[in-house]
Formats: sequence, structure tokens, C-alpha cells
Amino acid sequence: MPSLKIDHQRCTECRMCYIVCREIDINAVYVALEPLHRIEIDLQKCTYPGCTACLMYCPAEGSIVEVATGRSMVPPPPEAWQEV
Amino acid sequence: MADLPGKELARELIEKSQDESRATPIEEVIQAIGNGGTDGDSADRLIGRLWTLERMFYYIYGGWGQGLEMNDFPPSVKYLFSKQIVDESTHEMIYLDALLKRGFAPTQKDVFRHPYGAFVLDSALAYYVFSLRNLATYPHPIRIAALNLGPKIIELGWMEGLAEALGDAELKGVFESQFVENRSHINMGRRIVEEFVHKPVEADLCRWACAVAKRDYGRFLGELSAFVLGREAPAPPAPRRQVTD
Repeated sequence: MPSLKIDHQRCTECRMCYIVCREIDINAVYVALEPLHRIEIDLQKCTYPGCTACLMYCPAEGSIVEVATGRSMVPPPPEAWQEV
Repeated sequence: MADLPGKELARELIEKSQDESRATPIEEVIQAIGNGGTDGDSADRLIGRLWTLERMFYYIYGGWGQGLEMNDFPPSVKYLFSKQIVDESTHEMIYLDALLKRGFAPTQKDVFRHPYGAFVLDSALAYYVFSLRNLATYPHPIRIAALNLGPKIIELGWMEGLAEALGDAELKGVFESQFVENRSHINMGRRIVEEFVHKPVEADLCRWACAVAKRDYGRFLGELSAFVLGREAPAPPAPRRQVTD
């Protein structure tokens, strides 16, 4: 199953992904317990590709990538757009 | 740096708060953790109430932000305030993440509804929140002195003690990861007081506001400690004051 991770070189920590993930009760995006408090994705909870909400709101190009391929998912490629 | 007008006042407020930081009702919780007298429910109670307080800072700072005007302070003061708002938001997220990860509740909405996470008007927590919100009408350096050189220093003190006592690595991380930001808020407060509190009347207002904030924070900590230890003791009555206008 494909999964996502944050590229911290590109992420601006705006936390839109955190907000949308929490609002739809998936709660896969969390704040890491380290002094920088960076955003991470819990692969056990993330339902990608079933849900692509974080990709739709992320403003920073290349900041969310597919783990296996390293492919940038921001802006979302056409196949990521789906009807809910 | 030596001739900053509020330097002596900042030092005075910091030293007083540091002296009080390890004499709060939370010491009982720290002792209970050390003696193995707490369980998972105690942790849920602690984090639930701390989350409730953290999310109320959106309300407190919302009021404070309205008291900032164009050109009243240099941009650095407003930057430091906005950074503090972001950090407070981060801490709110950390507590909520911890509750959800612990399986305390399945969703954020459930935590809002749960008695451990619900905001209750008739509580020392609410009293402290409204006490801070009331500082919205005071000049920014005074309310920053009240919070950052008062309850923030006390919070850092008990939180360091708590983190040291905790055995659960995840729970320890919840508190330890906040230390840098908490120290930063204290330093921000020190800087603002040092640079912008000039007149004796302002210094007296800082002392008064800081004492009030610490008194009300102490009441909250008393309520929190009793709640975590399952005592459910009512908070001591709030001091009454005649309103004359």
C-alpha cells in the first residue's frame, strides 16, 4: 500500500495538513515530540490513497512525498483528485 | 544592555517566580508519580485539563491581540507575541495528540465533550483564563510581564520536575519537548520588560499584574492537582472585591 511522508526540507510547517486530517477524524498527522515540533504522518493511521485531503491543502510544492517512490504529491497529480 | 530601563524589574519578577516554581500543588502529583501512586486515568486527567487550558489561550491572546495598535511597538514585539501564539497552539496540539494516541477518545470532538477535556465555567481553570483575558486592556508589556515572568516560570519549574518523575517515555516527551519554547517565552518576557517598562507606575502595574496572574494560576494548579489525584476538592474561594464604579 503506498504511503506518504513529509519532506522537511520543503515543508513550511503551516500545519494545514494537521488541521484537515484532524477535522475529518483520521488523525494521522501529528506533532513530533522533539524541540522543533515538526509535523509527521503516522503510517498506521493514514488512509492514503483512500484520502488525499492533506495534499489538496498543502501549499508547499514537494513537501509531501510518496514513501516508496519519493514522488512529490504537492501539487497533487491528476489521479489524486477524487470525489468524496 | 546595561542601561535598559526595566532590567532590575525583570530580574526581580523572574527571581520571585523561580523561588515559587517548585512550591506549587503539582508537587503532590510529582510525588505521587514517584511513589507509583498514579495510573493511566491520572495521566488522562492531567493531559485533558492541560489541553483545556491550552486551547483557551486562543481566546486569551485573541483579546490581547486587539490591544495592539499600529506603530505602538516595534515589529519585534509583535513578532515575539505571534511566535508565542504559535507555540501555545503547538502545545495544544501535542496534548490532543497524546490523548488520541493513548486511546482516551477516538476523535477531537469526543475529547471536547469528555468531562476531562470540557471547559467548565465554574472552575479555577476558567477563573484563571478570564483573569488573563482581563489583562487585554492593559499595555502589552504589563500583560507580558504578568504571564511570561509569572505563571510561565512557575509552569516551567513544575513541568521539569514532572518530566523527570515520569517513567513513560511518550508522556515524558509531551512535557520535555515544550521546554525550549517555554524558556523562549520567559526570555521574550524578560526582553519586553527590560526594554519597554520605563516609569515607576508601569513597574508597579507589572508587579501587581504578575502577582494576580500567579495567584489565579496557583488556584488552577490546586484544582488540577486535586483532579489528577482523584480528590475532586473544590477550589478555594476566589477573593471578592467591591466594584465601585
